[in-house]
Amino acid sequence: MLKRLALALALVGVLPALASAHGPSRQKVVSSIEINAPAEKVWAVVGNFQDMSWHPAFVKTEGKGGNDPGATRTLTLENGGTIEEALIKRSDEDRSLGYEITKVDVKNVPVSNYSSTISVKGTAEKSIVEWRGAFYRGYVNNDPPPELSDEAAVKAITGVYQAGLAALKKKLEAGG
Amino acid sequence: MRALGLSLLAGLGLVSLTARAPCFAGQALVTNQPGDSLSIVDLTTMTAEPEIKIGGKPAGVALSPDKKTAYITAPEGEELVEFDAVGKTVKRRLKLGGAPVGVAAHPSKAEIYVADWYTHKIRFVDTNAFAVVTDVQVGQSPSGLAVTPDGKLLLSADRDSNQVSIIDLASRAVVATVPVGERPFGITIDAVGARAYTANVASNDITIIDISGRAAIGRVATGRRPYAVALAAGLGFSTDQYSGTLTVFDLASLTALKTIEACDHPEGIEANTAGTEIYVACWGDNLLLRIDALQLVITGKASVGDGPRAFGKFLR
Repeated sequence: MLKRLALALALVGVLPALASAHGPSRQKVVSSIEINAPAEKVWAVVGNFQDMSWHPAFVKTEGKGGNDPGATRTLTLENGGTIEEALIKRSDEDRSLGYEITKVDVKNVPVSNYSSTISVKGTAEKSIVEWRGAFYRGYVNNDPPPELSDEAAVKAITGVYQAGLAALKKKLEAGG
Repeated sequence: MRALGLSLLAGLGLVSLTARAPCFAGQALVTNQPGDSLSIVDLTTMTAEPEIKIGGKPAGVALSPDKKTAYITAPEGEELVEFDAVGKTVKRRLKLGGAPVGVAAHPSKAEIYVADWYTHKIRFVDTNAFAVVTDVQVGQSPSGLAVTPDGKLLLSADRDSNQVSIIDLASRAVVATVPVGERPFGITIDAVGARAYTANVASNDITIIDISGRAAIGRVATGRRPYAVALAAGLGFSTDQYSGTLTVFDLASLTALKTIEACDHPEGIEANTAGTEIYVACWGDNLLLRIDALQLVITGKASVGDGPRAFGKFLR
């Protein structure tokens, strides 16, 4: 799992990111997983914006602002690359949080203008965690190189979500 | 004052409902970008007909003056698609190249305007010949387009130049540029052609432009990443993509009044002609929402295809 994720993330893109334009069509990834653990317990883990240690792709989370809208965090990848993110909204009632990437090198994650919501639904016994992403590819013009195409962007984000949700399930079902 | 306005508008709404009920209840033509299709939604029942394939990842939409023909941009197909909204079929396709995104129709002439996101120009298309007749160069990455109700001016939100270009449609020349907030995307002109409103994606606000004065006259803060603006009942409504909200603001005082929790990535937004209802395409949840413009609550939801954008004027 980790190896596949590393492959998805280890990209060879060399395009200097332009200021703000983006590809023509926004991409969507929705991944979910069922976890045999109470929703409250699952939310206690994924609802903490300042701790992504449940995800195997990130070796470190550093941030400030706690769980309030506007809070920031920097995730460090195994290769030393970083992803800077900001919390947009968070609700304990809905067990949902929305965040965006504010800075990332397309060599590490081949996307631009990325926003995401992670939410937990369920009961005292069982939970469904859903992770949704909205983003453009890393290349901002027509005819992208393959490593910065729509397909590459979707593949990378799908890899991040699936690896993270699988690790989360394992951790929580083990009673962690 | 507000109470009087409400009762007047409610009265108008009733009249309009009675007048249109026997024949045509109104539809939304919703472009589903990843779904590669169009959803036609009946606005009375809030149900969509089966999706119609468009191709090229459709995004922008505009309607002919008689509202019988829709013009749809397909950025990945690099095409403009002419769609018969009565017969519900694709009529013609025009390969434009680049990345056509925003589109607007002239209120009376057989002419439409398409913004090319990559080559920074506005394509003028004669809808009889269905061919480009001229191009007008504007700022970087033109996005939203809107024509004044008198048909004299075209406004382009030049996203990556942080400005609006004002184009005189008779001379087909840019006559002014107005600096706005950061990365304006959608642009909406009011019913009398006095003001324009840009949704500024990066500065998270709306710029209000006095069109005849050719100047920005105010700003209103929104949620994260506003996409476009609708106007109704003396209020403005922005779709805040990342926040999942609509910011409601008063058009007279230019102050925010309320935030409505809407959906995942609300995008295309338009008010009905009576100004009683607002319709919002929800890119993330594949829904079209109906919002009561007076009560400011969601009153209906229709399931549509995948990734609805409805960028432009999509109600008929």
